[in-house]
Amino acid sequence: MKTRGRAGVWAWRIAILVAILVAWEYLTGIKAISRTPGLYWIDPFFVSRPSAIARRFVFLMSDNVRLPLWKMALSTVQSTLWGFLVGISTGFVAGLLLGRSDRAARVFDPFIVAFNSLPRIALVPLITMVFGFGLLAKIVLAWSIVFFIVFFNTFQGARSVDADLISSARFLGASEGQILRTVIVPSTLAWTFASLTPSISFALIGVVVGEFIGGESGGGLGYLIIQSLGTLNAGT
Amino acid sequence: MSRVRIAIRGLTKTFRQGPREVPAVAAVSFDVHDGEFVAIVGPSGCGKSTILNMIGSLVEPTGGEILFDGERVSARPAPQIGYVFQKDTVFPWRTVERNIALGLEYRGLGRAEIAARVREAVALAGLEGFEQAFPATLSGGMRQRVALMRSLVVDPEILLMDEPFGALDTHTKLNLHAELLGLWGARRQTVVFVTHDLSEAITLADRIVVMTRRLGRIKLVYDVKLPRPHDVIGLRESAEYLKEYGEIWHALGEELQERAAS
Repeated sequence: MKTRGRAGVWAWRIAILVAILVAWEYLTGIKAISRTPGLYWIDPFFVSRPSAIARRFVFLMSDNVRLPLWKMALSTVQSTLWGFLVGISTGFVAGLLLGRSDRAARVFDPFIVAFNSLPRIALVPLITMVFGFGLLAKIVLAWSIVFFIVFFNTFQGARSVDADLISSARFLGASEGQILRTVIVPSTLAWTFASLTPSISFALIGVVVGEFIGGESGGGLGYLIIQSLGTLNAGT
Repeated sequence: MSRVRIAIRGLTKTFRQGPREVPAVAAVSFDVHDGEFVAIVGPSGCGKSTILNMIGSLVEPTGGEILFDGERVSARPAPQIGYVFQKDTVFPWRTVERNIALGLEYRGLGRAEIAARVREAVALAGLEGFEQAFPATLSGGMRQRVALMRSLVVDPEILLMDEPFGALDTHTKLNLHAELLGLWGARRQTVVFVTHDLSEAITLADRIVVMTRRLGRIKLVYDVKLPRPHDVIGLRESAEYLKEYGEIWHALGEELQERAAS
């Protein structure tokens, strides 16, 4: 029953996908009844067609183009991963430090709130100015978003470590370092892990936006998108 | 009588609630002898847990002193103390085995020795087959067994227990009483056990400190005269048990009446 259920779900998914592609391909092919030639009900100039996209995809993947799609995709993925990894590690350490020190948390609180309420996109020009048109600027942008997501979660987690767990470790003879390692870090990690899923998608957003502005030396899918906008090419 | 292990002298604690000072423990004095099992009994809010927390250095006294073997306790828990909380303090991210191993790891013991002592503790607590289980998959009784073994495996000389079986059903509780008495009989740790359950106190303790309902004073200290070792379930039907229960219950009953009158 179970396997049949799963097969049924997949059958439905594939059927829906095929239906969408067929409708897209077919509907964008209907010409409007008009004296003006080349007029469509749904104009493939704006929404393209699956067949055109497939052709364009193959073309862009080839090494015949100056900026092959796979190279640009690789650059985007790499920058995302770097921003993600650096954002997680710095966010985790900062969240843990501030979460465990009431004084530091109080001192830094207004700065953190101020910086976090700043829309990160507004920083793109500044980051580009400082880090140049290149890989680094994209990574820094992704980092600045991921850092705060991970930081706030870790900070909450570090502040809500059960005091009785710490006491019980102390009664078992734990030193402060051992308490950090065996109680505070593991119990905080649960909160940090919860922030990883949104972090990866936000890292990607940061990178793509960085690429919108970053120009050719930064490359990436965001650059290809902006380039296509410049040539009004939706994929034909 | 054996030597005094823990001496409590004029122990006082007041908590600040805004501008008001609320007394929790007022000038309490009693001794706990070496190898003795003492229970502190009283209605909730009588300050019994606060006394235990002061013995364990979790709460700082406002006045009076606590002496271990004649020396004042420090701000940090003394290394010879084990503490079992009412709340579940088993680490949820560690298996049963690794929870029990905690204190041994903190002491930097070798792997082989840790493994041997954990195996022994697991067998004593009847947790065989659950070594690799995570606490979330265990019942409340088993988790509290893990917490108890985790405290005992490092061989503490003094064991402080704050209503450790408070959240368990009667049947599980009785089983754990028998196990605790068995373990205690073998090692004779000095135990201070806080509970609101009078029958639990009579079953386990050599001496019972009965607290007044308010103002955190000692109502009376009662010597339990039941022969040891005893069978925790059969005990409840014995005449001696019922007599002792009646006497203390009478004293506690006065406390409850005082509350109604006030």
